[in-house]
Amino acid sequence: MYYPLAEVSCQYKNEKESVMRKLVSVVMLVAMMVVSLGSFVRTASAEDVKITGVITKIEIAADQKSAVAVLKVNDSGELVSIIITDDLTLDKFKDHRIVVGDEIRTKFEKNGDKNTSKFFKKTAGC
Amino acid sequence: MSGRIVAIMLGCALLATTVQAKEHPGKEQILKEGYHGPKTCEECHPGTAKEFLKTVHWKHASKVDNVDNLDPNKEYGMKNRIYTMCNGNDIVNNLKEVPPNALGKTKFVGCNTCHPGDHTIDVGSSGPEAEQSIDCLICHSSKYDYSKRKAVKDKSGRVIMTQDRSTEAAANIGRPGIKNCMICHEGAGGGALIKRGFSMAKNDEVHVTKGIICVDCHQVKNHKFPTGRDPNNWASDGIYMTCVGECHSDKPHKDADYNRHTAKIACQTCHIPRTGGAFSKDFTKWEKQDNGFYEPSTLKREVNQTTPVYAWYNLTVSNTPHFIGPKGSRTDGKSKIYPFKIFQGKAYFNKLDGQLMSMDFAPPIANGDSLAGVASAAKILGIKKYEAVPGWQTIYFASSHQVAPKGKALTCSNCHAINGVLKFEELGYNAREIEKLTNPDLYFEKVLKIQQENE
Ligand code: HEC
Ligand code: HEC
Ligand code: HEC
Ligand code: HEC
Ligand code: HEC
Ligand code: HEC
Ligand code: HEC
Repeated sequence: MYYPLAEVSCQYKNEKESVMRKLVSVVMLVAMMVVSLGSFVRTASAEDVKITGVITKIEIAADQKSAVAVLKVNDSGELVSIIITDDLTLDKFKDHRIVVGDEIRTKFEKNGDKNTSKFFKKTAGC
Repeated sequence: MSGRIVAIMLGCALLATTVQAKEHPGKEQILKEGYHGPKTCEECHPGTAKEFLKTVHWKHASKVDNVDNLDPNKEYGMKNRIYTMCNGNDIVNNLKEVPPNALGKTKFVGCNTCHPGDHTIDVGSSGPEAEQSIDCLICHSSKYDYSKRKAVKDKSGRVIMTQDRSTEAAANIGRPGIKNCMICHEGAGGGALIKRGFSMAKNDEVHVTKGIICVDCHQVKNHKFPTGRDPNNWASDGIYMTCVGECHSDKPHKDADYNRHTAKIACQTCHIPRTGGAFSKDFTKWEKQDNGFYEPSTLKREVNQTTPVYAWYNLTVSNTPHFIGPKGSRTDGKSKIYPFKIFQGKAYFNKLDGQLMSMDFAPPIANGDSLAGVASAAKILGIKKYEAVPGWQTIYFASSHQVAPKGKALTCSNCHAINGVLKFEELGYNAREIEKLTNPDLYFEKVLKIQQENE
């Protein structure tokens, strides 16, 4: 999984960045509104869940922009569906670097019945 | 950006894209006759397989001439080195099935899974069988099905690495893309981006943003890969590279103030302000996972969270049991200031000779017993007498990748302000010099101008 390079140091900002900042703040605002709206409807808020399990199914959406992976949780045997949207993991599904049968360690955001992956990696020792 | 640089950069980027798009002339024949391993390629590219067997990617070792306390006639590399990022090597951690854990599960592990052979023909072997076992497609196919590359037991019980030798994969041949390289390089150190902690995603690396890929910078000829002088990547194909070359001169900036610094400061120092990955591991203490296996306990950071440590480096390496890192000084006339990630690893040392010991991971993976791992490794290596005592090793990893967008490169005040990133005293500057180097007169006008331009 890859992460965007965060603000590195307090240097001069260029125009693009300040536009980005404005954009970010607008997005944040909208996000906050959505969140607060959501909390009217449903009190249960999103929580992060961590599990390890074996993939039993991978379904890539028709538009190739997301996928659902079903994991059989190691301890309980319970089946959990997780939505994956990051390009690098999607690419790993497409070229079979991650396939059914692989054991995965994942952290996802649980929001109602919707589990959105934040971290999705094969377990690996050194 | 000067016109010439633009042209070169465009050139580099174009080169990257056009060459990839070109269809491989061998495609038709491969589709017609199928792929039968390297001998298919050899029909049109004779001698390639034999040539590959002489490289670091096959041998995991080479002679090393810039590291202390090595035998100049011996070869060193992942095949036989021991350090604390991965406390073993291809020999003691030869691919094998680990004993069953408490839940009765086993798995295959070994360092030489990152070797483009099939394991029956192992690291560094030679001869016609070795030639025929090379996985050419892992680097050259854009349609490689990675689920076909895994460790399994064959009929006679040998552990082998299978390959994708399908006609589909062989029909899609070209220069290796980032993914072909990252299939091994990303996982080095025990997991995604653990060792180097650099991302090659489009948004994270300015070259990748422009379409420049690994092999545009690492210009491979006859399967010899140019490399740098990272203090912890000893093996090389004998060809070296730096940031300066075809694409950049050592005076790449319009602004002479930056160019003046390149004599004493490596390009990476200003242009790679962050990396990530593991910064400490404890191989004496393995942690139980919920799948019943154990892993060495590891402290790590995301790819943008580690601030480098800066040190003088003259491209020769100090190598002792407790320290592997750069040698150099302000005054030797050869050193520049480079950025490093410092890693500290705990493992067992042999009290009898002070040397770092290696560990066979199979026992601790199954049951957490790290001393059983040391015992197994000692047996494999024929070490009869030892007394294992835990201790730390500090090692320096070069920061060579993840060049940040130019707006994030270090500028005057990042270094010359009082609380700048360089520890001038540790770098050997005296009080009078430091006073001068941290005097705002040095940078005030310039930083003010930059600030105004961007407001
Ligand atoms: C002392 C810090 C420093 C050093 C050392 C340094 N750079 Fe830079 N470099 C910068 C900064 C800051 C910028 C962005 C501001 C600018 O372009 O003036 C930059 C910009 C660049 C650019 C973009 C130029 C453009 O106009 O878009 C390139 C290419 C570059 N550097 C290459 C190098 C190379 C190659 C080296 C080593 C030979 C190097 N730099 C060494 C600080 C440095
Ligand atoms: C029928 C003949 C033929 C066969 C079989 C063949 N090639 Fe090629 N290959 C060529 C020719 C012709 C070129 C272009 C000439 C050159 O650049 O040397 C080429 C070029 C290449 C290049 C350079 C590609 C580039 O875009 O720069 C690679 C890499 C390559 N081949 C790998 C392979 C591999 C791996 C195999 C086996 C799977 C193989 N070839 C099988 C004929 C063949
Ligand atoms: C996922 C692939 C992969 C696996 C598995 C792997 N390595 Fe490596 N290793 C690499 C790569 C790639 C490099 C070189 C690049 C680098 O250091 O970033 C390397 C370099 C090394 C080096 C430095 C070699 C030199 O020339 O100085 C050592 C030592 C090493 N590995 C030890 C190990 C040990 C021990 C294991 C098993 C416990 C292991 N590696 C497993 C990919 C791997
Ligand atoms: C570790 C990765 C790797 C493996 C494995 C590998 N190659 Fe390559 N090969 C490269 C790279 C990198 C280049 C240079 C590509 C470039 O920059 O155009 C290359 C170039 C080539 C070329 C173009 C001519 C040349 O020599 O530069 C041919 C042909 C080729 N390889 C064939 C093969 C064959 C056949 C095999 C298996 C026996 C093989 N390669 C295995 C990485 C690899
Ligand atoms: C099959 C796994 C594998 C693949 C694929 C692979 N590497 Fe490596 N690479 C390694 C290992 C392992 C080492 C370290 C060996 C050692 O130091 O003993 C290494 C070392 C290197 C080195 C330093 C040593 C040298 O030969 O100069 C460079 C540079 C490098 N690789 C670049 C690449 C590039 C570029 C690609 C893609 C074309 C690539 N590698 C593909 C496993 C791989
Ligand atoms: C923008 C150019 C560039 C790209 C792209 C690039 N490298 Fe490098 N790489 C370098 C330079 C320059 C060095 C040596 C730096 C030095 O020691 O001065 C280096 C060093 C290395 C080393 C030696 C260990 C280290 O980290 O210093 C390895 C291994 C390596 N590169 C592999 C790769 C792989 C794999 C890719 C693609 C995923 C890649 N490189 C992409 C320029 C590049
Ligand atoms: C990466 C940190 C770094 C950055 C960024 C940097 N410098 Fe420096 N600068 C140094 C170091 C270290 C020296 C001392 C070099 C030596 O020993 O010759 C130095 C030396 C100088 C000197 C010579 C001082 C003397 O009395 O010898 C001047 C002037 C200077 N820098 C100005 C600047 C300006 C202006 C900028 C921004 C354009 C800048 N520096 C950016 C680290 C940096």
